[in-house]
Amino acid sequence: MSEHIVKSYEEQLQNLTNTIVKMGGLAESQFANSVNALLKRDEDLADKIAGKDLKMNEFDIKIENQVIDLIALRQPMGIDLRETVSSMRISSELERIGDLAKNIAKRARYLEFDIPANIADSLRRAANVVEKNLKDVLDAYSKRDKDIAYRVWNSDLEIDKLVNFAMDELLKFMKSNKKNLELSTHLLFAAKHMERVGDHVSNISENVYFLVTGDQIKGTRSKGEKSSSTRN
Amino acid sequence: MIQKNTVVKNAIEVRNLNFFYGKFQALKNINLNIVEKKITAFIGPSGCGKSTLLRVFNRMYDLYPEQKAEGEVKLYGDNILHPKRDLNLLRAKVGMIFQKPTPFPMSIYDNIAFGVRLYENLKKQDMDARVEWALKKAALWNEVKDKMKQSGLSLSGGQQQRLCIARGIAVKPAVLLLDEPTSALDPVSTSKIEELIYELKNDYTVIIVTHNMQQAARVSDSTAFMYLGDLVEFNETKKIFLKPDRKETEDYITGRFG
Repeated sequence: MSEHIVKSYEEQLQNLTNTIVKMGGLAESQFANSVNALLKRDEDLADKIAGKDLKMNEFDIKIENQVIDLIALRQPMGIDLRETVSSMRISSELERIGDLAKNIAKRARYLEFDIPANIADSLRRAANVVEKNLKDVLDAYSKRDKDIAYRVWNSDLEIDKLVNFAMDELLKFMKSNKKNLELSTHLLFAAKHMERVGDHVSNISENVYFLVTGDQIKGTRSKGEKSSSTRN
Repeated sequence: MIQKNTVVKNAIEVRNLNFFYGKFQALKNINLNIVEKKITAFIGPSGCGKSTLLRVFNRMYDLYPEQKAEGEVKLYGDNILHPKRDLNLLRAKVGMIFQKPTPFPMSIYDNIAFGVRLYENLKKQDMDARVEWALKKAALWNEVKDKMKQSGLSLSGGQQQRLCIARGIAVKPAVLLLDEPTSALDPVSTSKIEELIYELKNDYTVIIVTHNMQQAARVSDSTAFMYLGDLVEFNETKKIFLKPDRKETEDYITGRFG
């Protein structure tokens, strides 16, 4: 894409993209750290995540202001309009990912004992796919790549399956001994939050696809199997 | 749900149109349909041919001997480029409004009545009714009804432009051509004209040439992007301004044009 005749406009749009990329980078590390904090019961790391969440909120407000300035002062059209509108939406999704990461990390403080290895592994597997999708969707955004965006959108099913598997294990663990109730409850929430992060990543992929093509992603994704916790 | 009748009727059909200013070719093999009772906008940089195309639609170019058009431009099926075409009748059917308001140096009333008298022989009473009708259509009636004998030139720029639109529609044309109709007007007058254009599409086919892309986006149903005498892209306005198919169009509408 060639450059704008008005250089300050070009710079404004470039700044917006840069802010999204920085915010995306922070969201990635917040989520990855939150899973580590939880699985390792690392309270110091959880505190750091809570502190950095303020930065996520600042990014969100900054992007909102940049978008309002662009719409009010530049009246963007075509690719610039798509860029502007999707940036605002992506920023909200990233901000929600930040909140969920903070919440996952917070639960590290309330775990009374170490997580059983099989459950930790299941949660880790689900988190890995979420992390990969988040990384990929941010790459798709930077590279303006609709194919990567589509692949991420279409792989949400895998996350749902892995999360449901982990939740089923947690339910079994819960039922086996009353002492496991509190730890399991926290981990159930954490697992659900991971799935929600996956949903936000999927929403970002829809926005990237729209940014690049001007169209909404079409087609239906097959839904994952319900876990016994959500089956009824 | 009641299905609307979706049969599209073309007011104007352009086929293989080429246009020359002497040896310079200003339009290159243009093909397009202008749908009846819709607003079609033409955008593009200066010299792209959009005003030339507009001037073909009522054969304004005929005033200049070295200018010539080849191909076909059909107005409801009749080729308007036919040499035996009655140009006065054509221009009554295809009215034109220019960039600068051009009221005649006569009263507000006569500005409207003048054109009507060329084509119709109306009684005083009927003429009064026609003048009122046209001024109401052009959203000017309330502002001028008490000063119909004043000179048209005494009005503000925006009012003068609406007077010209009233004059254009008083002869009940089928098509209205607007060549940069608001580029000499302030934002409030511009909004009034845009509101008027929107109203007019209930009865007329409107074609507007504008340098103001936001204006094309605001008022038109379809937009054509022209460049160097070519029709680059012609599509629904929303499509043109959200995701045009051609890179040249996207560069132009986003201000990337070199």
